[in-house]
Formats: sequence, C-alpha cells, structure tokens
Amino acid sequence: MNTMRFRYASLEKKAFIIFIQIIMIGYVVLILYPLFNMIMSSFKSTRDIMRFPFSLPKAFDFSNYVSAWVDKGFSGYFLNSLYYTLVSMAFVVLFGSMAAFGVSRYIFKGNTLLYMLFLSGIMLPLKAAVIPLFQIIKGFGIMDSPLSVIFIFIAMGIPSTVFILSGFMKTIPAALEQAARIDGASELRIYSQIVMPICMPSVALVVIYNAVPIWNEFFFPLVFLQKDRLKTLPVGLSSFIGQHSTNWALLFTGLSIAIVPMLLMYLFMSKYFIKGMTAGAVK
Amino acid sequence: MRTKKRLKKAGWIAFFVTPALGVVFAFILLPLFMSLFNSLFSWNQLIRSDYTGFRNFERLFFTYPYQERFFNALGNNVKWFVLTMIVQNGAGLLFGYVLSKGIAGSSIYRRIFFIPVLFSIAAVGFLWGLYLRPNGMVNALLQLTGLGEYASAWLGNASTATYSIIIVNIWRWVGFPSLVFLTAINSVPSECTEAAYLDGSSEWQMFRHIVFPLIIPSVTIITILTVIGSLNVFEQVYTMAGLDGAPNYATDTIGTLFYRTAFGSVDSGAPEIGIGSAVAVVIYVMTFGISLFSIMVTRSREVEM
Amino acid sequence: MKRLLGFLLVMVMLLLFVSLPASAEVTEIQFWTWRPEDAGFYDEIISQFEHANPDIKITQNPIKNTEYNTILSAALAGDSAPDVFMSRAYGGLQTFADSGYMLALDDLIPELMQFDEAKKMGARSITDGKMYGVPAVSQTMLCFYNTKVYAELGLNVPQTWQDFIANLEATKAAGYDALANGTKEGWCCEFLFGGGCSSLHGGVDFYNKVISGETTFLDPVFVNAVNEMLTLAPYMPVMYEGVAYTDMQASFINEMSAHFIGGSYEAGYFQAQNPDLDFDIFAVPGYTEADPAYVAVYADMNFSIAATSKNQEAAIKFVKFLATPEFGNQVVADLAMVSSVPGVDVSANPFIAKVLELQKNSTPYIFLVGFRYNQPTGSSLFQAAAQGLMTNTLTAEEVCKQVQEGIATYYEPFQK
Repeated sequence: MNTMRFRYASLEKKAFIIFIQIIMIGYVVLILYPLFNMIMSSFKSTRDIMRFPFSLPKAFDFSNYVSAWVDKGFSGYFLNSLYYTLVSMAFVVLFGSMAAFGVSRYIFKGNTLLYMLFLSGIMLPLKAAVIPLFQIIKGFGIMDSPLSVIFIFIAMGIPSTVFILSGFMKTIPAALEQAARIDGASELRIYSQIVMPICMPSVALVVIYNAVPIWNEFFFPLVFLQKDRLKTLPVGLSSFIGQHSTNWALLFTGLSIAIVPMLLMYLFMSKYFIKGMTAGAVK
Repeated sequence: MRTKKRLKKAGWIAFFVTPALGVVFAFILLPLFMSLFNSLFSWNQLIRSDYTGFRNFERLFFTYPYQERFFNALGNNVKWFVLTMIVQNGAGLLFGYVLSKGIAGSSIYRRIFFIPVLFSIAAVGFLWGLYLRPNGMVNALLQLTGLGEYASAWLGNASTATYSIIIVNIWRWVGFPSLVFLTAINSVPSECTEAAYLDGSSEWQMFRHIVFPLIIPSVTIITILTVIGSLNVFEQVYTMAGLDGAPNYATDTIGTLFYRTAFGSVDSGAPEIGIGSAVAVVIYVMTFGISLFSIMVTRSREVEM
Repeated sequence: MKRLLGFLLVMVMLLLFVSLPASAEVTEIQFWTWRPEDAGFYDEIISQFEHANPDIKITQNPIKNTEYNTILSAALAGDSAPDVFMSRAYGGLQTFADSGYMLALDDLIPELMQFDEAKKMGARSITDGKMYGVPAVSQTMLCFYNTKVYAELGLNVPQTWQDFIANLEATKAAGYDALANGTKEGWCCEFLFGGGCSSLHGGVDFYNKVISGETTFLDPVFVNAVNEMLTLAPYMPVMYEGVAYTDMQASFINEMSAHFIGGSYEAGYFQAQNPDLDFDIFAVPGYTEADPAYVAVYADMNFSIAATSKNQEAAIKFVKFLATPEFGNQVVADLAMVSSVPGVDVSANPFIAKVLELQKNSTPYIFLVGFRYNQPTGSSLFQAAAQGLMTNTLTAEEVCKQVQEGIATYYEPFQK
C-alpha cells in the first residue's frame, strides 16, 4: 500500500515528503561522488592525484589498469579473492542459517546461552587473537594454504549471520511450521523448504553484510598467506602503501577494480528487498 | 515416547548447530579466550612470565598513564554509541519506512544506499581524508555557501575530530539499518496496516502503534550490533586518525588503545601484552554484559505472531 | 561434516608432503621487510646474491609498515619466523632481542667490527650489550628547501634562527606556504621538533646531560626550544593541525611550499614524483652563528636473523652480503638513503654527500634514540603533548612537564 504518494497527500505530508526527498537525494550525491572520484583518480598519475585530487583526468588512459592487472599480478589476486570469498560465503550461509534455525525455531534450555556464545564471536576484533590463532592454524597444518583464510572467513561470518537470521526467523509464525509437521515434513525439509525461502531477503542482507568485509579483509590474508600466488586483492593493494611513499595511482586503480564485484553482487541482491516477496510468502 | 521425541529434537538441534559452532569455536572463541587469559600474567617483552592475578587490571584502572588513557577512550566509545544510535539508526528507521512506502525513487535509493558499505575502509579513509582536510571539499563548500567562518581542520581539531570520524562512519553504514528495517517492515502483514488506514489513523499513529511493535526483533538486532560496533571501534579511527588517536588522544577508543598496548605502535611505542589483554577482557565483558541486557529488555517487548 | 573436515585436512597434509623439496641442495630462506616501496630494490639485491650463491634461494615478503610488528610477533611466537628480517632500531629492537627471538651477531658477522659505533647503537641491546642486527641506514632530520624559490627571492641558506624566520617570512610574503609541515599525525610533530629545533637546545650536549640525569626536560633551555615550535606555526599552512603527512609531501613536491622539515628519506620520493623539483637541504641553525647547526640523526632498519632459523648458515651469508659496501653503494644510489656500511662511496649521489656533511654536527633524534625503551615512551608522550601545544591547548611548560613526569615513572636517572 502506497501512502507516500505525493499527489494525494495532505499539505503536511507534502512538506514531509519534500524534506525526506531532499535528504535522500543529498545522500545519493554524497555516495556517488566519492565513487566517481575514486574511479576518476584511477586514470590519473600519482602526481596529478596529489596536485588536483578533484579534477577530471586528462585522458582516459588505461595504463594504470594494465600495470595493476598485468605487472602487479592483480589478475591472480582477483581470482584468489573471488575464490576465497565465494567458498567461505557458501559455508557462512549454509552453517549460519542452519544454526540460526536451530537456535530460533526450537525452545530448549541453554537457548540463550548458545545464542550468546555465537554472538561472542563478534564481541572482540579477531585481531586480538592473532597469536593463538597463528598457533591453531599451524597446528591444523594449513599455514600458507587457502584453507587458513577460508576457515577464518567462515568463522568471522557465522556469528552475525546466526544473530541476524535468527532475529528474522523468530518473526515467522509458528503455525506455518506446525502445519508442515502435521503433514509429516522432516525438520530438514522445514528448514530448507519452508523457513529458508521466507527468509531470502534477510539471507540477502547477511550475504552483503558479510561478503563485503571478507572481500576487503586485509589483515588475515597478510598474516597467513605468504606465497605470492595465494595472495588476495587487499594484500596486493597494501603493497602500494609504503612507509614514506604511496603509489596513489595504482592504489586508486586497485580500489576501483576491487569494488566492481561487490557492486555487481549488491545490485543482484537488491532485488530481494522489494515489497511483496516476503509478504507473499507468508500468506 | 516422550524421551524418544526429546532425544530426536536434541539430535536435530545438534545437527543444525554443530557445524557452525565447531568452526566458530576453533577459529574465534578458542584463540580469543587463549589471548584473554594472557591478561593474568606479567610479561617480559613478548614472552609470558609469571601469573599475577588481577595485577594488570589494577594497573589499567588505577595507575598512570593507563587509567587516564582508558577512561578518555571509553568516553569516546560512549560518543560513538550515542551518535550512532540516534543519528544512524534513527535515519535508518526513517529511510527504511519511507522506502517501504514506495516513495518516489525508492527503487533507485534502495540500490544506492548500501554502496558506501561496499567501499573498503582504506578507500573511505583516503577519500574522506581528502574531503575533510583544511583545503578540502567540505571547507570549500562552506566557503562557497558563505559559511566560511565554520571552516575547520576537521580531523586535526580535538573538538571536531571524533565527531568527524563518527559522521563519516554514519555515512558509510546508514544503509544497513535502512535495509534491515525495510526488510522488517516489508514483512509486516499488510492487513494490519490496511485496517488501520481505513480507520483513519495518521501515518505517525500507524507507524507508532502498528508497524513499530511488529519490527521490535529487528530493532533488537540493530541495537545489539550498534552496542558491539561502538565498543569495538577500531578500523575507522585507525585509518583516519592513526593508532594513537590523534590529535592528543582526542579520537582514541578502547579498540585503538587495546591494539596500541597489545601490539605496540610503530611511530610511538612498544607493546605491553599484559595490559593490552586486560583491555581486551574489559571490552569483551562490557560488550557481553550490555548485549545480554539489551536482549533481555527487548525480548520482553517482542510481540508473538 | 567433521569427517569431511578431517578428510580435507588430510588431503592438505598430503599435498604439503608431496610439495616438499624436490631438490635438496638448494636452501630456501625467507626475508621480510616493512618497505613495500623498496620491493623492487630488494628483488634486485636478491638476484645479485643468488647469482653469487646459486645454492641459496631467497623469498622476499614485503609487509605493510603499520602491520609489520604485529605480524612478525605472531610469526615469531608461532615458531614460523622468517630466517632474515628487517628489525626496528633502539627500543623497537629491544622488544625482540629481550624476547630471545633474534640471534646475537657479534661473533657471526665480523664485518660489524668496522661499523661506526654511533650507527651501531640502534642494533645493540641495552640489556646485554650484544648486536642483534646489521644496521642498514641512518635517517637525518633536517630542512628541505626549494632552490628555485630561494633563487627567485634572492634568499641565502640561513646562518641563524633569526635568518631562518626571515626566510620563512619572505617566502610567505611571496605567496608560498613557507613551511609545508602539518601536525595532524603525532610523529610529524616529533620530526618538526627534531628537524626544526634541535640547534635551539644545544643538540648533543643537552642529549648527553638529559640521558645522564644531569638535567631534565624541565630545563628552561629545552622548554624554550619546544616553545619555538609555536614561532614556526604562522609559517605553516592554514589550519596546519589538519594537514596530514601526505598533504605535506604533496605541497612540497608540487612546489606550493618553500620549506619542508622532515627526514632525509624523503629525497627519493620527491625526486621520483617531480623530476623538475630543485631542492637542497640545510640544518636549521641556532640563535647565533657560533652555535652548531644540528641535524637530528637516528639509525633505522637493521637486518636480523631469527633465533629459530633452521637455515642459519644461509641466513648469515645473506646478512653478510647486506653488510658489504657493494650493498651500501646501491642503497645510496637506488634508495637515496645514507647507508650505515663503512666505506660506501657517496660521491655518485650529491644529495647523500650533503647529508653526510650535515651529519658532522649531529645530535641523536632525542625521543626515538633515547626514550623508546619503556612505556610510556618519550615519543608517545611528546607526540601527543606537542599536538596539544600546536592547537594551543597546552603550553610548552605543560608539554615538558608531561614528558618529564611520564619518563620519570621508569627512568632511573630522573628518579633521584
């Protein structure tokens, strides 16, 4: 139901709508400009970026891209990042949604404890634990292997996934589930065929909420992956930042490359935030 | 029969929960608790030496310079929490509501509002550093609109630095509560609102009495994430003000204080793992306590559907 | 699921075993630095070394400066340290030396005997007096100036502090930012003081007195030197408290400012970014011509060997190579830094020759060299307080009081 249609609104409401529109348009500009600024900088030289950070490039010269993609090995870093992110996100969503289902759809003792245990996983930056984590990774024998960062990424993503999804799962009417149980559906079926489809918008939410930090994570790959052929995009980016000098041109180029997959993923996911998907499913 | 059923239920719970719990335990909880344990020992540089009980906590809370640094940093975390809660989550709720009402352009807004989250924190730090510097865009705009007297060294002034970083962070994250609330409001059955609309309720009454009570679970989610986020602030300050919370600790948070004491700061000092771990324990205990409290409070207000 | 995980782990183990060394004669060693900007340089050095030592293969891993210590500590504690790594000087070295993570090199690398004693201080542990690294370079805090601007305005290199201020005034009047420096980052305050005000407190004489406890940081001479930072303030950019390190660099590189107080390590980046930039350096002078014009100097970057390295022989060979004039010459030529190796020929690089000339009147870069061994470090105290000074929230007396009281909590000569 659309109660925010300008034409039929009262005077008060018109003022409110105009006010909101000004804020939202302002925010859109505040979002698009830095994006534009970043991409334009990728066509400039380091010195031009320093001198005229806000000007347009003299020409659309792709030499920074060639240099980053080919000479600096970003093609490999890009594929590594894609691989680690996809694999870990698949497990984050699978394990996370299963756990959320377990925590939110059953009533049992220790429910809150379990919930808090998961939540504990995001109560401190994991960096705090880098030294013991190093020993654990070494103990598993996965130093300098993709598995090291994949496991860490999965572990990093699960707490907030469980937390957010169980919050949404709680709002699903219990009657739906009971009806299915009476029809003889197994628990696994209730999870996969009934609860999960209704939760798709919130699943989309946790996917972008977690995929972005995982994609951009720079610290753990830097610690655990030393072979050049295993390194990720953010680690590659960090090589442009020196102690006393920074290669701004390649840095902005790398940042522009890095945001593309995230933009595509988000545009794809945003279709799940449309009214009707959930409402329709519940009815 | 009952026991069999209960066993079966327990089996299913275990089936659903174990994989996630296993990974989180091995790669987060175990190492975290191992490092929190370090707070009970004295340290000779990077080597653990004797068990000292709560000596590190005593030093942290009661002696120079830790006491001053800690409470100064904690004060900033409070600023982070209050501002994020009011400005970011307030705006998020407003945005989420009007987007769910299909305000003109909402399909475009929905696709754009989350973009700042997609930036890596490095990009956010560099770009906003450029805009906020003395000869940057923010001051230029102020000059242009005749507000030149308000131009400031945003990140260099003790009085504006923390707020500037918080506002940049709100710029980055406001899309998240917007989408969470949008998703939640979308799943409010339309019969509820239609009935109220036909009764002649105003937009505000409808929101206050019908929509809001039904989206309390997502309010809980956002509140808890804000609590955790505000007590864990690190990256934003690190990229925009540095590990020492420049200028003169004006932007310091317990997150940067922790990192600086646990690992040392390249430009200024050596690590003190014992104290650093004690800071981590304090962050953890506070986050846990406040989260649990908020969960208890909001749970009692949730509406069963 | 657990079974699957177990299976995956076993598979990985197997893969690891399969990929174990096929050719046993070649020793592979790991080499870490915090200088991503010099990665190309070290690749070249490594290939020279490998050419001369075909039985050793070196893998370089340049790590972002700000995360370097954290990652190195984790690797050392986790028994996965690189064989050879760049180590910090002075207090930064002490942390790792006291932890027993580094090999004492006095007997292993006889070349160290030839090194200048002052340059060795950064690699020497104050606990046991042993050398834990081969010093790589020294950095010098001084004043860069744009020679085109000086020629245009008919200015000469200042001989007194008053001359210096007059030159700042003249360049400011001509429309330049007289001084590029900003104070947004704390460490930029430290080098503004070290490079700008060291001649005002008597340089090395004051340093020796304060180290021995004969005087303190409350000495009026020192308080005055700190206060003179405020004399520089009007010549710094508008709202300098928000001007970041990278903004300062950009301003000087793009010839918008006439002076830049900073480290000699900037020269390479300045030149690379703007080949048309003509610059030279001087030591900021004292109040009279008779006062020595000091530059503040510190040792930076050592090459150390991990105590747990399983390839010590190869590691020693490589570190010995990093102690040769051959390496030192390339540091001068390619990195434009002052090599600590004795017998390096600097005639090829006039800039470095000039730095060495200025180093004749050198004073230790006071807080980094002398007061970074305990918490709170002199650097952290001074950096924060100096930001207070520059934003007019603290007076010079208060700055010195904070520094003095902080250091006195652990520094015995101050506790008398």
